[in-house]
Amino acid sequence: MVATLLCFTCFYAQAQQVKVIKFDELQKLRKSNTDTLYVVNFWATWCGPCIKELPYFEAVNKQYKDQPVRVVLVSMDAVQDLKKVKAFMQKRKLASDVWLLNETDANTWIDKLEPKWSGAIPATMLFNNKRKQYYFVEKELKANELQALIKRFKP
Amino acid sequence: MKKTNLLLLCTYCLLLLGCDQGVVTNAEAVISADSLISAVAGSTISDSGYKVGDTATDFKLKNVDGKMVSMADYKDAKGFIVTFTCNTCPYAVAYEDRIIALHNKYAPKGYPVIAINPNDVNESWKDSYLHMQQRAKRKNFPFPYLHDETQEIARAYGATRTPHLYIVQKQQDGKLKVAYIGTIDDNYREPQQVQKKYAEAALDELIANKPVSQATTKAIGCTIKWRES
Repeated sequence: MVATLLCFTCFYAQAQQVKVIKFDELQKLRKSNTDTLYVVNFWATWCGPCIKELPYFEAVNKQYKDQPVRVVLVSMDAVQDLKKVKAFMQKRKLASDVWLLNETDANTWIDKLEPKWSGAIPATMLFNNKRKQYYFVEKELKANELQALIKRFKP
Repeated sequence: MKKTNLLLLCTYCLLLLGCDQGVVTNAEAVISADSLISAVAGSTISDSGYKVGDTATDFKLKNVDGKMVSMADYKDAKGFIVTFTCNTCPYAVAYEDRIIALHNKYAPKGYPVIAINPNDVNESWKDSYLHMQQRAKRKNFPFPYLHDETQEIARAYGATRTPHLYIVQKQQDGKLKVAYIGTIDDNYREPQQVQKKYAEAALDELIANKPVSQATTKAIGCTIKWRES
């Protein structure tokens, strides 16, 4: 009985929640002034190339968990599909922070975040505002490309 | 004894060689990491491609009925709603009925839809010509659905995602001026919740000979599946 309870606690402690956010929160993260390398990946459960590169971000999250590197996976799924995102997250055992951006009209926020971004996903931004570092890429990353970027920017 | 020494020397040499190689490999790894980053940076955003006001190129691409289609074929058109789309992107699929509705509303006003599928078949096999034919038949597309097999047209236009609209207006000299680049509306998920019909607003202004007030818009969409170079 105790073991079962413990198991449940373990499971729930490990299971991440999907945090539903508005654009303000994303902008706050983008402007955060800590000496941390933020790796923000834009993806969706319906996006094939995004799903292909997700394990590379998960690997980075695990590999640098004791260092000031933070991976945030921002889902572009509609908020109506939150259950789908949660199910996906549990099935894939995603350990990185998963956010869902609850904004229907991307035209209102994309340019505020990154004018160079056309809106195609996957897209990824890396930044460390304390060190005035910023990098944006609109394409599917290969494992070695992501690793090279992290090595270049990590504090 | 001599033999043992020789053996030791050999082992030592081998070890040195091994270490040496290790260093070289690391150095190479560093170099390739840098070149990787520049490669990534190089392909970040294509500043090429059209901006509003540019002259769009015509094309000659194969339609799902086997015939070649160009914008020049439409003698009476005032312009076109050139739509990069595909079979596979859920975002594009969500907009299919709205693309059909756009055509049905604006083709009689001189602005028909021409849909172009730019996805590479090797990267996305369900975007093959055969699958395109099936999709067009199933949805009963009232407009041509063209196969941009070489991806040359998508690159020339600067399309990055599906769906991605380019509304072009025929000028008096016959040139095709890009009047609008962007998305259809502000809500892909719930068509009945749409507040802003960006493409329709642009078309209405064009038809009324007014300047387009919002000539570029952005939306999330699936990246075009480019051929591996």
